[in-house]
Amino acid sequence: MNFLRKIFEETGKLVEKGKPLSWAYPVWEAADTIFFSTNKQTSKGPHIRDNMDIKRTMFFVVIALIPCYVFGAYNIGYLNALAMEIERGIVGNTIFGFTYVIPILIATFVAGAICELTFAIIRKHEVNEGFLVSCALIPLTMPPDVPLWQVFIGTSFGIIIGKEIFGGVGTNIFNPALTSRAFMYFAFPTKISGDKVWAVGPDGYSGATALAIPANPVEYDTASNLFAANTQFDYSTLNMFWGLIPGSIGETNKLLILLGAFFLIYCGIASWRIMVSSVLGLVFTSLLFNLLNYLTVDGIMQAGGFPNAMLTITPLQHILIGSFLFGTVFMATEPVTSSHTNKGRWIYGFLIGVLTIIIRSINPAYPEGVFLAILIMNMFAPLIDYYVVQANIKMRLARNA
Amino acid sequence: MQKITIKKGHNINISGFAPREFSNAPAQKFVSISPQDFNYIKPKLLVKEGDQVSVGDALFFDKINPEVKWPSIASGTISKIVYGERRAVLDIIIEVDEEKEKNIESDKQINLSSKDNVKEFIQKHNFWPFFTQRPFNKVVNPSDSPKCIVVSLADSSPLANDLSFSLAENKEYIISALSNLKKLTDGHLYVAVRGNNFSFLSDYDFINLIQVEGPHPSGNVGVILNKVNPLNQNEVVWTVQGSHLPVLGKLFSKGIIDFSLNISIGGPAVKPSYIKSRIGARFDLYKNSLLMENVRIISGNVLTGKQVDIDGFLGFYHSSFSVIEESFERPFIGWLHPGGKSKYSVFNAYLGSNKKSFDFTTLQNGSNRAFVPVDAWEKVFPMDIFINALARSIEANDIDEMEQLGIYECDEEDVALCSFVCPSKSDVGAIIRKGLDTIYFDK
Repeated sequence: MNFLRKIFEETGKLVEKGKPLSWAYPVWEAADTIFFSTNKQTSKGPHIRDNMDIKRTMFFVVIALIPCYVFGAYNIGYLNALAMEIERGIVGNTIFGFTYVIPILIATFVAGAICELTFAIIRKHEVNEGFLVSCALIPLTMPPDVPLWQVFIGTSFGIIIGKEIFGGVGTNIFNPALTSRAFMYFAFPTKISGDKVWAVGPDGYSGATALAIPANPVEYDTASNLFAANTQFDYSTLNMFWGLIPGSIGETNKLLILLGAFFLIYCGIASWRIMVSSVLGLVFTSLLFNLLNYLTVDGIMQAGGFPNAMLTITPLQHILIGSFLFGTVFMATEPVTSSHTNKGRWIYGFLIGVLTIIIRSINPAYPEGVFLAILIMNMFAPLIDYYVVQANIKMRLARNA
Repeated sequence: MQKITIKKGHNINISGFAPREFSNAPAQKFVSISPQDFNYIKPKLLVKEGDQVSVGDALFFDKINPEVKWPSIASGTISKIVYGERRAVLDIIIEVDEEKEKNIESDKQINLSSKDNVKEFIQKHNFWPFFTQRPFNKVVNPSDSPKCIVVSLADSSPLANDLSFSLAENKEYIISALSNLKKLTDGHLYVAVRGNNFSFLSDYDFINLIQVEGPHPSGNVGVILNKVNPLNQNEVVWTVQGSHLPVLGKLFSKGIIDFSLNISIGGPAVKPSYIKSRIGARFDLYKNSLLMENVRIISGNVLTGKQVDIDGFLGFYHSSFSVIEESFERPFIGWLHPGGKSKYSVFNAYLGSNKKSFDFTTLQNGSNRAFVPVDAWEKVFPMDIFINALARSIEANDIDEMEQLGIYECDEEDVALCSFVCPSKSDVGAIIRKGLDTIYFDK
């Protein structure tokens, strides 16, 4: 330890103010405080401080994501073994999966670190640990086969356009990880959507995700029947919960996502209000659509586009398929880009649930609606807060009168 | 009796709470009054080094509000006037002459009937500095008429002086002080107490007794006001420190000027105790009780107090010294620490944290970062104010919005816990003060 401490003290002298290498101070500071907690003192009141800091806050989110990584890797191996019709065992499957996950992870972190450090040096501010979370989230939203150069470009776009040009962590409008995801979705659609990308198999292997099945049925049937009729994968409710189905790396196992959610809520880092209200919004809207479709099927109501298999997905199925749960727990709750008031958080979360179902069900082009729903609500979060705060102002004005 | 229960907040579990008994200490030789303890004044000295003063004599006055004068808190000699940058007066140090003080006992009965009588009496004895106002937390303007007066006898700050103990012998003086305070306002006189402390006050119907419950900052004047009678724009509320009630009571009832004060000394780096002393006491008399070398001595509480040297003095409005260790430790990968005895957090982020009383040090426990709203401030801020939105409006220098969001109801001490819990290590108190300054100097 002393040896390491000495290295930092020696190198620290090189980046002091006035030295030629002083521009590198933010990089040095980041490394220094990662290895040794800062000994920064309080200068005036409060003279004592809580032991929670941004490093730990951000790191806890990364911890919550680690199980999703492990399962994601296993699932890649499992689906590959299924496609290749071979046996590899749990460890073998996981190792196989990691050969896909780790390169994506490295590409993301290299891109993220370059952007963050460059901006820290140019702007002369300390490196904010928030980029670690963004970079840990991005690979989990990717298909396993995604080209690394696309990941590199996507991450850079997300960090720079989603965050840095607005002034960095704390002032960004859009969730950087989702900005990356959205950029790649629209820039490289062939590699991040469709049936071909979600499971690693032999050339030309294709496997429809649970969302794609009711979105493109051969002929109308209820979603439950369509799932049951699919012989390639087990789309039973239980298996969709356990997550041995095609999908982006981190989204499939719902148990681990829920565990992550409880962990973050228990630690007081993520807002349970957003999670609960977005599930409420999803349940409300999907029930409404179930009802609408029911009315058209029985001929009580006539409308173009009905009946639609997407409208027959039950609320529970909606929660389990696609990345709704992952997005709600880890993306929607991002503190900076979500609403900042508790009342606002209820509205913000609820509308994410509503928009997810609308985008999923009504528009066949985007079966995965949750990332768009969250980005749209990111945009409206300040507006929601504005009205919540205005109510407080009106209350005060009324008292004053 | 009205009861208010505060839910949002946090009682910091810091070690070194003073036991309820007085320990002996020699009499103070030096006391000081510092113009720096008073916001928004322009002091003009009336004395110079070497002058003889009697207790209560005016030492300086405020150029902006010349009728407000500051009393000498002891009889004796002005031994030193300490100047800081740009000749700001930091301390007026008085060498106490106890012989001289003995002669000022008095047993006359004072009867003050009207508001003007009381005001004149306060003016005559230079006692205005004991009266502070909200908003701005500054010494009152004597010509104002406050909408109400609040006194908190329920200080909830960490290691606070327990007034139910330290004021126990001063029952009559407290009542005399309160009855004269009531004459200063046409509105209510609110007195906040905790539990069954000061239950004798419920016999007096001129007092609006408020029983507060819940964690810090429930005993803060600002929080109590927010719950019982919120402060609106263009209104002024007066307050006095609960610990000063005996001083006021002695003056109002018998005309005695006596600045004795029972102070508490607490904190992890000192042997905690209560000591009979006086306003502006010097710390060095108690330096034998220090438990270690490298300490930070704080006049007031650990959240809002000011750092003083070992021969520094108690602030005018303070009634306690807190002492914590100056730590320079750099634990290896400390942010990954699992928890246990060495970590304290209001977040559930460390195993077993904040169960036992904790030895806090001066470590900030993290670097300053951009603000990330993880709902930490809101958990410990009990007023119906959007503190995050307010802080933003202050940073944006938008006076209209600050007023609309209720800046007048806030003071630094009310948001001190927000800074304590903030993972980004923001200083919320400084932001609030900046906003108040902006408004004050704009008008």
